[in-house]
Amino acid sequence: MNAIKAALRNPPLLTLILVVLVWIIAGLTLRGFGAYGHLRYLLELSAVIGIVAAGQTLVILMGGIDLSVGAIITVTAILLPLISPEADPTGLVGIVLTLGIATGIGLLNGAGAAYLKVPPIIMTLAMATFLQGMLVIIAGGSAVSVTNAAVIWLGQARPFEVPAGVLLWVVVSIVMLIIIHRMPVGARFLALGANPLAARLSGVSVGRNTLLVFALSGFFAGLAGILILGMNRQGYVGIGAPYLLTSIAAVVLGGTSILGGRGTYAGTIPGAILLVTTTALITVVNASPGWRSIMFGSLILGLLLISGREARR
Amino acid sequence: MTVTRVPANLYTAVQRRRNRGLTGLYLVVAAFLVVYAILFPGLFTIGGFSKFTQNWFPLALVTMAQALMMLNGGISLAIGPLVSLGAVIAAVTMGGPLGVLGGLLAVSAAGLFIGAATGGIVAYLRLPAIIVTLAGSFIITGIALLLLPRPGGYIPDWFSDLLAGHTPVAFGLLVLFLIGWKVYLATPLGIGIYAAGNNPVGAYRSGVPVERVKVFAFALSGLLAALAGLFVAAQTGSGDPVIGTPFTLNSIAGAVLGGVAFLGGRGTMRGVICGSLLLSVMINVMFFLGFPPVAQYVAQGLIIVGAVAVPQLTSQWRAKP
Amino acid sequence: MTKTKPLLEARRVFKGFFGNPVLKGVDIALEPGRVHALLGENGAGKSTLINLLSGALQPDKGNVVVDGQPVLRFSPAAAREAGIAVVQQELSLAAELSIAENIGLGALPRRFGLIDYRALSTAVAEVCERVGLTEPLDMPVGDLSLGRRQMVEIAKALFRKPRVLILDEPTSSLSAHEAGILAGLIRKLRDEGIALLYISHRLNEVQALCSHVTVLKDGVVTADQPLAGVNDEGLVRLMVGRDAGDLFPAWQDNPVGNELIGLEGFSAGMARDVNFRACAGEIVGIGGLVGQGQEDFLLGLYGAIPASAETAQIAGRHRPLKNVEAANGAGLAYVPADRKHEGLVLPHSIASNLLLPSLGDLVKHGLRDRAAERKRVADLTRRLTIKGDVGRPVQALSGGNQQKVALAKWLPLDPSVLLLNDPTRGVDIETKREIYLMLQSFAREGKLVILLSSDTPELVHLCDRVAVFREGRLATMLPRSEISEEAIVGAAMGLSAKGAAA
Repeated sequence: MNAIKAALRNPPLLTLILVVLVWIIAGLTLRGFGAYGHLRYLLELSAVIGIVAAGQTLVILMGGIDLSVGAIITVTAILLPLISPEADPTGLVGIVLTLGIATGIGLLNGAGAAYLKVPPIIMTLAMATFLQGMLVIIAGGSAVSVTNAAVIWLGQARPFEVPAGVLLWVVVSIVMLIIIHRMPVGARFLALGANPLAARLSGVSVGRNTLLVFALSGFFAGLAGILILGMNRQGYVGIGAPYLLTSIAAVVLGGTSILGGRGTYAGTIPGAILLVTTTALITVVNASPGWRSIMFGSLILGLLLISGREARR
Repeated sequence: MTVTRVPANLYTAVQRRRNRGLTGLYLVVAAFLVVYAILFPGLFTIGGFSKFTQNWFPLALVTMAQALMMLNGGISLAIGPLVSLGAVIAAVTMGGPLGVLGGLLAVSAAGLFIGAATGGIVAYLRLPAIIVTLAGSFIITGIALLLLPRPGGYIPDWFSDLLAGHTPVAFGLLVLFLIGWKVYLATPLGIGIYAAGNNPVGAYRSGVPVERVKVFAFALSGLLAALAGLFVAAQTGSGDPVIGTPFTLNSIAGAVLGGVAFLGGRGTMRGVICGSLLLSVMINVMFFLGFPPVAQYVAQGLIIVGAVAVPQLTSQWRAKP
Repeated sequence: MTKTKPLLEARRVFKGFFGNPVLKGVDIALEPGRVHALLGENGAGKSTLINLLSGALQPDKGNVVVDGQPVLRFSPAAAREAGIAVVQQELSLAAELSIAENIGLGALPRRFGLIDYRALSTAVAEVCERVGLTEPLDMPVGDLSLGRRQMVEIAKALFRKPRVLILDEPTSSLSAHEAGILAGLIRKLRDEGIALLYISHRLNEVQALCSHVTVLKDGVVTADQPLAGVNDEGLVRLMVGRDAGDLFPAWQDNPVGNELIGLEGFSAGMARDVNFRACAGEIVGIGGLVGQGQEDFLLGLYGAIPASAETAQIAGRHRPLKNVEAANGAGLAYVPADRKHEGLVLPHSIASNLLLPSLGDLVKHGLRDRAAERKRVADLTRRLTIKGDVGRPVQALSGGNQQKVALAKWLPLDPSVLLLNDPTRGVDIETKREIYLMLQSFAREGKLVILLSSDTPELVHLCDRVAVFREGRLATMLPRSEISEEAIVGAAMGLSAKGAAA
């Protein structure tokens, strides 16, 4: 009884338990669900969402929200093939350049939020709109194929039977957990998220941390964009759009407060897996797009009712 | 015996105070209107005025819908899907046995119901509005897709002509909506929106039925968005399950331009009207200047940031000793 | 002697949170025409008792009794019906709404379903008259100072024509003038037959206004008696349960060191053209009516709001500090008055609050050194006698202990200048004394303590000099020999120091 209560009060654990339950039940009832290949595929999809949601977790912990991650993914997926120099056979130069651009966009978001005092939700929304326009102007409407070797390796390779994307996600997760729990900046983000005024009067720099958090969010979105590009082998306008809402949903499903100041990436990890699993299950049911959308929305809502409730403030 | 410091008409005095600070916005709107009138002198004909207000009308409605949510201290990501759903329901039902009236009732009922349900979840189950509407947007889009998987349906021609023809009916309707909004904000439930958005705990302790205030405001917000969809259906002559998508962003942009604050409890009807008008004029002006549609996105992004940043920076600059 | 029937009672009420009993069988009876004082240290259960009496909480055991009838399922709505009004410490106002709308909120007169603004303005004007609110009724509450908002809150309670009025520390943000008006009002309400419950940490107010006292200690009533014949020391003894000795420690003459702050023509926010000097080892008080620029002066020194100066020397820096980090770097620390919103990150643990300012210096290889952090937290909690699990959220602590955390978190930085903004507001007597002793030991260690206080006796007993602000300017600097309550209040009101003292 006490164990159940403790689990209910620990959203990351709760989400993890839900994932395990769903996997066990689905594995027993649905043919093919429990196959290694299928589970690996689910993890591969979760990795993308998990990486986007890494930046989103930090931003939300600090009391903001980043509505531009979808647009940043699209930007990286389209720009990378265009700016990868032919002369570089490894493709690493292109990746570094693209990540630099993604981080730069994040920095701009942060600068708007910190120095122009535009609320993050508006700043990033405006940035998303802006990027959407810029992309079409720069790249036109057509899809671009990727030839960058490193990107293709990232999207397709399976060292030791584990997809490279999943390995990347493991690295990202370790880095994220260290940032949040073992580094001073993590504590500062959380303090700023819970009470920005008190944090500022305690000597926590609002400007620097806001810049940092949005730059990280841009970086992780860019990383996810490269992974998606590698998995898809093609970039096109709108490729990142589905990841905006799913990244937010993964964070909130993991028990991180949308109001900031409380939560951890340890919850976002099972949150991302849960999200992908439910989407996969809905696909299995073989319903019309309308029903699929309804089921997806209802499921998110239902899961949020369990894990995302806010205490009265 | 009353004392001299009691304003002769408290209501007017309160409204005047609440709307102070909008002068800058009035000037910007006026300037854009002048530019627009120079670019497009047809504005002063009945037809031109009608077309102009028809473009403005749905934008004004969704901005009002979003402002209601933001005054409550939340933000809705489901405005666009609701507009789509309104359009779809109108296109599906107006060909039915109850005709236009039936369609109107069905759209209104759907908007009110979805809004109230969202509000109920937010108020009683204590989930933040942004994630409820995020999940809700999938459900609403799904319903719209079920009702009408691809663009189509039926809107009677006379109805389209009435709303989106060469007469300024839309403008008249807008005035009616504004009067309704003003009346609502002069009721205890309406004023409760400000109180509950500003200081929910304090409002609860003061005896404001905070939950009921929320549910009503959300329901009205849903109604406005769905009716905007009905209008869009009349404009295009059919229903389309994704036609509303841009309205989510536009509604936020309009409300932000109109000075509705994000933390709840701040913002006025006049601001909302000016914000939506400004947005509408800007979109029109860019169209007439021959901007490609995507450049409008670029401009819109910059304008939204500017609209928030400029007042912030000027007030900061003024605060410097 | 006629026995009057109490309007509102609590009978043997018990209430606990998460298994911690807060009230253990408390009785209280509020009679018409009497001002009843409720005293007790923070954490004694006063707030819980108020919440029970106003229907915000339900007792676990025992009854709330209205007009002799026990009520089942008491609620805020039922309490309002019964004519019970509460002025809480946390204001219930909406900043965007006008004074009139705020006062009427929840009880707005209506006609045809709409708010009847005409009726509202007449009714509101009447209560404003009573509490001395002269601002235009259409003014948004957000434009008022904290003290004026408090008066609006009181007017709001009166607007409902209560039979029982509960005032929870109503004077904590009021100026002396406003507090005087409130005192007159309370007497008038008492004479009209209203039952009043008055909670305050200021004993002189309690002595002046109240005729009956209930003292709570650790959830039990330790005294329920007429106030007549009980002096301050007696009250303190009742609250603390033993002789508290003098509230204020004896003033100490510490050697004065280097000049740490020297300002000419310093301006920040409302503070204008301030000339101010202070040296290491001093406790310099800052007094005046509420909202005369004192707070902006501190915030400007601390780099939290933009400041300018003709010449400035702040802890070795020769211009006003640009931001809080720079101030911390120069050795300044600031403890805000509003600890809930400015001082602490309430939902976070005691430990993370204590570590927040000094996070950066307990880092090994770029990572936080958990062992060193634990040691630091243990050390701070021991020095400040903060008891219990440091993993608890700081909001679970009583006001006094919260204030200790807000102060203690600065100690690891070893600041040379401490800026304190009303550090004893809403703090119980025991903790107050601890804080006073701490301030003295800071001064002894050669730190500069700048103490902004709305509690004049505090300034008189502790400070070496007192700067009195008036209309944004430093009106008078009183040296130790001239410090007295009369001199401070006189200077605050704009009288010359000599005239006031005479």
